[in-house]
Amino acid sequence: MTVPPTLESDLAAIWAELLDLDPASIAPDATFLRLGGDSVLAVRMSALVRRRLAVELALADVTVEISLAALTDLVRDRASGDGAGARALPVEIVRRPDPSAPFPLMPLQQGYFVGQHDGWELSYASAHFYGDLALSRMDADEAAETLADALHRLALHQPTLRARITPEGEQYVLPPDAPGAIPGPRVLDLRDAADAEIAAALAATRAEMSTSGPNPLTGPGVDVRLTLLPGGRGRLHTAMSLIAMDGWSATVLNRELLTLATDWNAVPAPLEVDFGDYVAAIERLRHTGAWQADRDWWHDRLDAFPPPPALPLLADPRDVAPDLMDTRDARLAADRWTALKRRCAEHDVTPSAAMLTAFAVVLARWAGHRAMLLNTLQLNRLPLHPDIHRTIGAFAATMLVPVDLDGAAAFSDLVRAQQRTFTEHAAHNLVTGVEVSRELARRRGTVRPVAPIVFQSTLGMDAAIGQRQATAAGPLGELDFGDFYHQLRTPQVALEARFWEMNDEMAVAFSLVGELFDPSEVDYAFAELVELIGALADGYGWDRVLPLPDAARPGPADGHGRDRALALPDAAYPGPAEGLRVGDEPRAEAAVAPGPPRDELEQRIAALWEDLLDAPVLDRAETFFALGGDSLLAVRAVARLAKETGRAVGVRRFLDVPTVAGLADAVREGTA
Amino acid sequence: MTRFGVLGGSGTVGRVVVDRLAGAGPLRVGGRDAGRAAEVCASHPGAEPVRADLADAAGLAAFCAGCDVVVNCAGPSYRVLDRVARAALAAGAHYVDAAGDVVALDALADGPPARLADRAAVFSAGLMPGLSGLLPRVLAAAGPLARLDVYVGGAAAIGPLSAVDALLTRGPRFGTALAAWRGGAVVPNALRPLRSVALPGFRGRVHAWPFLSAEAAGLAAALGVDELRNHTVYVTEEIPRALAAAWADEEGPVDAHVPAVVAAADADLAATGPYYTLLFQAVPREHVPGRPRRLVLRTPDSYALSGVVAALTARALADGAIPPGAHLAADVLDPAATLAALRGDPLVTGVELT
Repeated sequence: MTVPPTLESDLAAIWAELLDLDPASIAPDATFLRLGGDSVLAVRMSALVRRRLAVELALADVTVEISLAALTDLVRDRASGDGAGARALPVEIVRRPDPSAPFPLMPLQQGYFVGQHDGWELSYASAHFYGDLALSRMDADEAAETLADALHRLALHQPTLRARITPEGEQYVLPPDAPGAIPGPRVLDLRDAADAEIAAALAATRAEMSTSGPNPLTGPGVDVRLTLLPGGRGRLHTAMSLIAMDGWSATVLNRELLTLATDWNAVPAPLEVDFGDYVAAIERLRHTGAWQADRDWWHDRLDAFPPPPALPLLADPRDVAPDLMDTRDARLAADRWTALKRRCAEHDVTPSAAMLTAFAVVLARWAGHRAMLLNTLQLNRLPLHPDIHRTIGAFAATMLVPVDLDGAAAFSDLVRAQQRTFTEHAAHNLVTGVEVSRELARRRGTVRPVAPIVFQSTLGMDAAIGQRQATAAGPLGELDFGDFYHQLRTPQVALEARFWEMNDEMAVAFSLVGELFDPSEVDYAFAELVELIGALADGYGWDRVLPLPDAARPGPADGHGRDRALALPDAAYPGPAEGLRVGDEPRAEAAVAPGPPRDELEQRIAALWEDLLDAPVLDRAETFFALGGDSLLAVRAVARLAKETGRAVGVRRFLDVPTVAGLADAVREGTA
Repeated sequence: MTRFGVLGGSGTVGRVVVDRLAGAGPLRVGGRDAGRAAEVCASHPGAEPVRADLADAAGLAAFCAGCDVVVNCAGPSYRVLDRVARAALAAGAHYVDAAGDVVALDALADGPPARLADRAAVFSAGLMPGLSGLLPRVLAAAGPLARLDVYVGGAAAIGPLSAVDALLTRGPRFGTALAAWRGGAVVPNALRPLRSVALPGFRGRVHAWPFLSAEAAGLAAALGVDELRNHTVYVTEEIPRALAAAWADEEGPVDAHVPAVVAAADADLAATGPYYTLLFQAVPREHVPGRPRRLVLRTPDSYALSGVVAALTARALADGAIPPGAHLAADVLDPAATLAALRGDPLVTGVELT
C-alpha cells in the first residue's frame, strides 16, 4: 500500500473539516484535543482516514492527544505494513531561525543538571571529565598564544563552546561577540620552578580542576589550561562539563583544538547544523509514532527487568558525599589489542560486546547472581545530518541493558547472546535509558538510581570519527599519550567501567565512588577483568566456561540466602556476606499520612505541582514521580516554590520525601 | 401511616428501596411481572404486589391511587420522563424518581400539575445524579470553596436498558465533555482526559474523563465555587472507547451499539471486580484547620446504592422534610443527615471525611 506524498496536508484537511478550522492553521505538533477535538470526533477522524486514504487505524491508536505529526507518522506506518526492517527517521533536521534561541536539555543533560543541584544521591557540584597530557619539545614562547588562538577559532566554529545553561534548565548559545563568550586558556609558567614546586603546582591544578569543573550555568563548559615546564616540557589540562558535551565531543574537541594549534591557517569545514538544531529535531521526534512505538517496546519489558548487580556496599549511598571518583586503570598493548580485535572478528562479535560480557561476568561473580540490569552510555548520534558526527554537544544518551548469563555456557556463547540482546535493545534507541529509567523508578516506587552500574565503550569510535589522533601540535610540541592523567565525575553512578582506544592501545578503567566499596574487592574485580581481557586477546578465554553463581537474582534484602561473592576467595574476602548491597532500598522514611492537603502551604504546593505536571494533585502523600514528575521538573518545582514563597529547599531534601507533605515539611524546616 | 408505592420494585434498584422502606409504612410493590413482584413481597409482610406497566395509563393511575409517596425505579428514564410523576401527583401522592434528570424535571415544568402546590416531585434521587450533587455540600457547609474536584465511577455491570440510557443521555442538556466550571461559566475544552492516574479511594490506576454534567454545573452555581472539575472514572478505557465509537456513528441505530457497551462494562468488572467510588475534594477559600476537604464514599453496588438514596428521599417526604414543588434531590436533601444515614447502611463499605 502506498500513501500520497501530500499525506500530512490530506490529514490536515480532514481535521479542518471535523474541527471547522482553516487547514493552514493546523500546526504539526498541535494535538487534536487542543484544537477542540474530542474522543467522538477522533473516531470519526479514523473513519475518514480509512475512507479517504484506505488506511486502517486501531481505535486504541487514535487518542485525542494525538498530534497531526504523530498521526501522519502512524498512517504512514500502518500503510507500509508491519514496519519491519530498517526504519527511516521520521524527522528532518533543519536550521533554527534564531541560533541563539534557548532550547531544552536532552534527557541525559537533565540528569547531569539535576545532579549539579544535588538532586541525587551520588551527586557532585559539577559533572565533568578532566584529563591532562604530557607535552615535550614545546616552543614555550609561542605555545600560550597558539593555544589561545586555536581555542578562539574553535569556539567560533563550534557553537557549543559558547553555550550556557539557565537556572530553569534550558540552554542557549552566546553570539561570538558577547562578553565572555569565547573561552580562553590559562597559562601557568613553571619553566624556572624547582621540582618540588612543580609537583605541588601540578597537584594543586589537578585537585582544583578535578573537583570544581567548568559549569555552563556560570561560564563556558570547557576549561583549558597549559602548564609550561622546564626543558621544553609542559602539560595540557582540559576539563569538560558533561552537561555541555559528551565523550565523543571530547575527542572531537581535542583533535580540532590540536589541528588548529598545529596550523595557523587551518579552517575546519563549516558545520551546517548545530546541537540546538539536533535537539529541536529530537523534540519533534517525541511526537511521532516511531518514538511512541519504541517507548511502548520498553514499557512492555520493564516489569521483567532484573535488579542492578547486588555488589556489597560499605556505606549507604545516601550517606556518602563523594568529592572525586576513584580510578583503576590498565592498558592492553597495541599488539594484544590488535589480536583481541582479530579474535572478536573471528567470533563474529564486536569488541564492545566482548568487553560488556567480560564486565558482566566479573559483576556476576562479585555480586553473587547472574541476571542484572546494567546502564550503558551511548555516544551514537542519530544520523540526522552528515555533519552531526563532527559537532560538539551533549548528544549522548544512556541505554539500559538486561544481562542474563548462562552458567553453563562458554564465554564465546555468552558474548554472542549478549550481543543479540544489546542489538535488540539498541534498535529501540529513539527513547533513551534516562527516560526508561524514570518509568522503571516510577513503577518500582523508588527515587534511587535504578541502574547505578555503568558500562561505557568507545571502542570503534575513533574509526567512526575518521581521522587519527595527531601526535604533534605545532608550537605545543609532541603529545605523550603514555603520560595521561584523567578523572571522571558523573552523578548517579556507583561504578562505571570504561573502555577506549588510545594510540593503538586499548585502555580500560573503573571509575567508582570509593566510599561505597571495599577497595580490596575493587582491586580483585578489576584484576579479574584485566585477566579476562588478556585471555580473550591471547585466545584461550573464548572457550572457557567460567564458574558463575547459581542464583539468577539476588536474595532478599534481609541477607538470608544471598551468595557470597564468588570472585573473592574466602581468605581474601573481609567484608560481610550479608550486609548492604547495591539495589537495596534505602531506610524507610517516616510515612506521610495520606489525605487532602492540610493547610495553605500544602495546598499551594499541590497547585504548583498541578501546574507543572498538568495532572490533579489530590493527596499529600502521593509522590511527585508517581504523578508524572521527573527530576528536571523537580528542580523547577523547588525553584518555583522558592520564587513564590521566598523559601529555598534543597533538591535532594525534596527527593528524599517527594510528596506534598514532605516538601511542606522541608519548607517549614528551612524557615524554622 | 404513610403508604409507599414502589414502581419497578423487583428490579435491582427497586428491591433495595422496598427493603429500606420496610417498616416505615404499608408498601405497594409494582412490577411488569406480577410473579416477581410477589416474590419481593414474600419477605416483607404487609407488602402488596401489583402488576403495573408504565405504558398503561389507567393501570398507573390505579397503582398510584391511595399511595402517599410513589417511588419510581423503572426505566429507561429517557422514556419515563415525567409520565409517572404526573400520575402520582394526579393521585395526590409525592413522587420520587431514583433516576430522571434535568430533562425530566423540565418536562414536568412544561405544563406543571396543580398538585405541585402541596405535593413534591423529586428527581435524580440516586447515586449519579443524586449523591454526586448532594455530598459535596458537606464540604461546603463550613464556608465557601475556591475549588471542587469530583470523581465518580468504578466498575459496574451495565445491562442493555442502562446501556441505552448511557447512549442516549448525551448532548448539551446533559453536560459537556472536557469542560470545567470556572468563574461562573462553563469553559469548554478546559480539561484533558486523565489516563492511568492514581486517585484516592479508587483501586490501582484509573482513567478519569472530564464531563461537566448539568448536575455538576448546577452544583457549582449553587455553591458559588470558583472552579469545579467533574470526572467520570473508568477502570479501563473500554467504556469510553465503546461510547465514542457509538456516538461517532451518527446514522446507525443506537441499539446496534448496546452489546459493545455491555461487553465493555463486563471487561471492567473482570478487571477489578465490582466497586464504585465517589470522591470529592475541596479547596476552601479560607484555610481553617481541621475543616474537612475530602469526602470518599465507597460501595460495591452503584445501582443498589441508588435504591438507598431513593428510599431516604421517600422517608424525607413522609417526614415533611421536603417542601412542595418539583426538585432535584441534591437541592432538597439534607447533606449531613443523608451522609449519616449512608454511614449506617450495609451497602456503604466506607466513608472517609478528612
